[in-house]
Amino acid sequence: MDPLLHPYLIDHEPYYRAAGNEVALFSAAFARGLPMILKGPTGCGKTRFIEYMAWRLQRPLITMACNEDMTASDLVGRYLLDAQGTVWHDGPLTVAVRHGAICYLDEIVEARQDTTVVIHPLTDDRRMLPLDKRGEVVRAHPDFRLVVSYNPGYQSVAKDMKPSTRQRFGAIAFDFPPAGTETEVVVHESGIAPERAARLVKIAEQSRALRGRGLDEGISTRMLVHAGSLMAEGIAPHDACALAMTTPLTDDADLLTALDGFVEAQFGPRP
Amino acid sequence: MISARLDALYAIDRDTGAAMRIVLPVLERELNDASALAVLIDLLALVAAEAPDAARALAERLDTLPAALADPVILRQWALHGLQRHCDNAGARRHFFETHDPLVFADNVADDDSRHLLARREGLQHYLAGFGLATRVVDLHEPHAVGVSPPAVSITDDAIRFPRRCASAQRDELYRAAAAHAAAHLLHSPLARLAGSRRPMLLATIALIEDARVERLMLQDFPGLHSLWGGFHTATRESAGFEFSGLAARLARALHDPAVTDSNAWVLKGRALFEAAAADDLHQVTAFEAIGRQLAIDIEKMRLPLPLHYRPQPPYRDDNTLLWNMNAALPVDDNASAPKEDYEFRPRDELPPDLLPVDVDTRRRTRYPEWDHYLEAMREHWATVIESGPAATHVGERRMAQHAARRVKVRGLDRTPDRSIRLNRLAEGDELDLSAAVDCAVQQRARLPPDGRIFRRHGRRHRATAVVLLMDLSVSTGRFVPGSFTTVMEIEKRAARLVAQSLDSSRDRIAVHGFASSGRHEVHYQRIKDFDEPFGAAPQARLAALEAGLSTRMGAALRHATEALAGQEADHKVILILTDGEPSDIDVVEVDYLVEDARHAVTCAAGRGMRTFCLTLDRQADSYVRRIFGARNYLIADHADAFTGHTGQALVRLVAH
Repeated sequence: MDPLLHPYLIDHEPYYRAAGNEVALFSAAFARGLPMILKGPTGCGKTRFIEYMAWRLQRPLITMACNEDMTASDLVGRYLLDAQGTVWHDGPLTVAVRHGAICYLDEIVEARQDTTVVIHPLTDDRRMLPLDKRGEVVRAHPDFRLVVSYNPGYQSVAKDMKPSTRQRFGAIAFDFPPAGTETEVVVHESGIAPERAARLVKIAEQSRALRGRGLDEGISTRMLVHAGSLMAEGIAPHDACALAMTTPLTDDADLLTALDGFVEAQFGPRP
Repeated sequence: MISARLDALYAIDRDTGAAMRIVLPVLERELNDASALAVLIDLLALVAAEAPDAARALAERLDTLPAALADPVILRQWALHGLQRHCDNAGARRHFFETHDPLVFADNVADDDSRHLLARREGLQHYLAGFGLATRVVDLHEPHAVGVSPPAVSITDDAIRFPRRCASAQRDELYRAAAAHAAAHLLHSPLARLAGSRRPMLLATIALIEDARVERLMLQDFPGLHSLWGGFHTATRESAGFEFSGLAARLARALHDPAVTDSNAWVLKGRALFEAAAADDLHQVTAFEAIGRQLAIDIEKMRLPLPLHYRPQPPYRDDNTLLWNMNAALPVDDNASAPKEDYEFRPRDELPPDLLPVDVDTRRRTRYPEWDHYLEAMREHWATVIESGPAATHVGERRMAQHAARRVKVRGLDRTPDRSIRLNRLAEGDELDLSAAVDCAVQQRARLPPDGRIFRRHGRRHRATAVVLLMDLSVSTGRFVPGSFTTVMEIEKRAARLVAQSLDSSRDRIAVHGFASSGRHEVHYQRIKDFDEPFGAAPQARLAALEAGLSTRMGAALRHATEALAGQEADHKVILILTDGEPSDIDVVEVDYLVEDARHAVTCAAGRGMRTFCLTLDRQADSYVRRIFGARNYLIADHADAFTGHTGQALVRLVAH
């Protein structure tokens, strides 16, 4: 492997608790070289999953968080100035393509649709990346893989992938794991007792029933882990839930009272 | 003042007026206050305009209601409640006004509690949704007399009804506890079982055990509810006593909290039996029913009667009517339930000539509240806006609209200032665009032809405006404007045409709507041109075909326009209303009611970011337009020719604002 990629290797095994057969599915698709979409609500473990898979398959992982101002040259690279003159600087995508790494584009729908078109020649059988400014065509390294993720929950017409982009990918849908698994995750990540973690999971489940009634998304596993770690440090459950779960979730007073009611249904009225 | 109002009442309904004249001397003695009497006659007129027979019934018994007459607010609340509650059943409505006691609204505590609950209804609804019960509506019980103890919470197929008077000082906790208890029943109880010949005492004890059972089951998933419910279990030997309701409350507490000690043999027996069954299987309903049966037998041996108005304790528990089906024992009446089959559906053109087709009224109805300034409260669902079928949109008309023979223009509209933005990568400008300059230098060094566009400057982007032009189509607009030969309607149409044509259709959105009302149940609303429709032949024909008729219920129309505008994406939103007189309607005699309601509608629209502007042809409009729209949001056109010009000016001002 190119020494350039060493910083991108993941040294320690990230904790990931599989909820289904996603590990086997991803490994099979990976072996075939199929680009993958990971979709699911925020905080359900998409990023953790790709880190885990990169560690498991011993591949470097280059992550890029997408946003609306991102341009194609942010992905493929650009000329910069130095004392001698101009020098070409590979973008993260080009590094991954040239040297063989997993390129992970997080929240791909946040980038403008015409920006993401640059990945088209990479994701069909050509597997190449034309750098028009440099007049070069980079053939993809056999180890290069492309993985993108997005959240279908708050998509609008303006923020969606082009059908021509979509159809190049395989996809795995993620959701919040079943209660038992989610409790296990919260226990492992935050270090609180399983019984208390189970209560947190119940609150999250009740909040997810409010999706579409003013909440875009319910309380995520990530929020549960945060609340759990606060409780493990000795913060009272009501305060921990308010800080890490209910208050950040919404500004609507009616929804907040309902969410506080769910906390109360697990931990009793606030003393 | 009194005689003028009586005449108005006479004009609405002779009989009510006559009945009023009979009781008038008594009332004058009772009330001793001319203004209170005037308010009373106004109220009668309000009822009479909607239900003359009910008003007559009320007028005839007014002299028997001295206590209610003392406070006109109570009487008004009561009358409005009756009108709204029985608005589709004339018999029940007359019965209400003949017999129902207005003093049920005299309970200030209940009034305060109901407002408290209604303000939190949305939150409770979300709370229930968290238990998977999103379809149940949170609602209030009918008001009940002051002396009688309030009914318990009751759960029906579509609603959970709370008492108007709250039985505890911790109202929010009680509401949540009741909602969670209701959820426990709906998730775990067998519902609507046949009551059969079970005696009331047996039903009460079985329900008591069932309450404890479902709460136990609920606690397995939601352990925090234990202390929420526990806060209301306060029965002790001293406080609850030895009557049945006291013992039942003590048993409920003993079942809720194993740590509580109680010395009563019946309570201890109930607890022992319950714990034994609970240790076995909480889902075994029949085992628990047997416990209830045993306890009922013991109570009857003690010769303790079931109190007349027994309510399960503590107060968060519901009346348990959802557990039983009381009516199933009645024989099924085949005649009553047989569906009537004497109609059939056929295509209209296959209809035999001797049959008349029955049309289904497909017009969209939306109900809006109205503001009662006298009560300082909203009258919920008071006015009904009826919208004629959606206007068909024709795509091909856009081109026709562009070729319209003569386009009118409003001067100044294209010179409105815009929001500033930054324009990048320009060949010339006020300052350097740094990233463009770096790119340019890179290209130079790389011996590529540089792109010279390295400047930037502040630019402007036009803000998008959405306008609803609301036309008053009431009967008065058919009159001629004083000193001219055109009707108000003609002038309104001219102004509407000007506004619809002069706004830039690529950027601004305009809708032309009209309204006319015939009482609160029929506020007709017409979409002459909708937002997504070009101002082509069809809308122009609709505009030309408008005719004056009916009255002006401005508030309801403004609320409907607000809703229409709320769905639009625009930087700012404007309702421009064209009218010729103050709000009025056939079922309203009070002078200020519709004015205050319209003002409330304008304030609500402002709260949602919409500006309302009024253009009126009424020279005496000063008194009310300022009240409705505020000091700077109206324009009074003195003569007909100026109206169109004024409309244009107002538009420029609004768009520029």
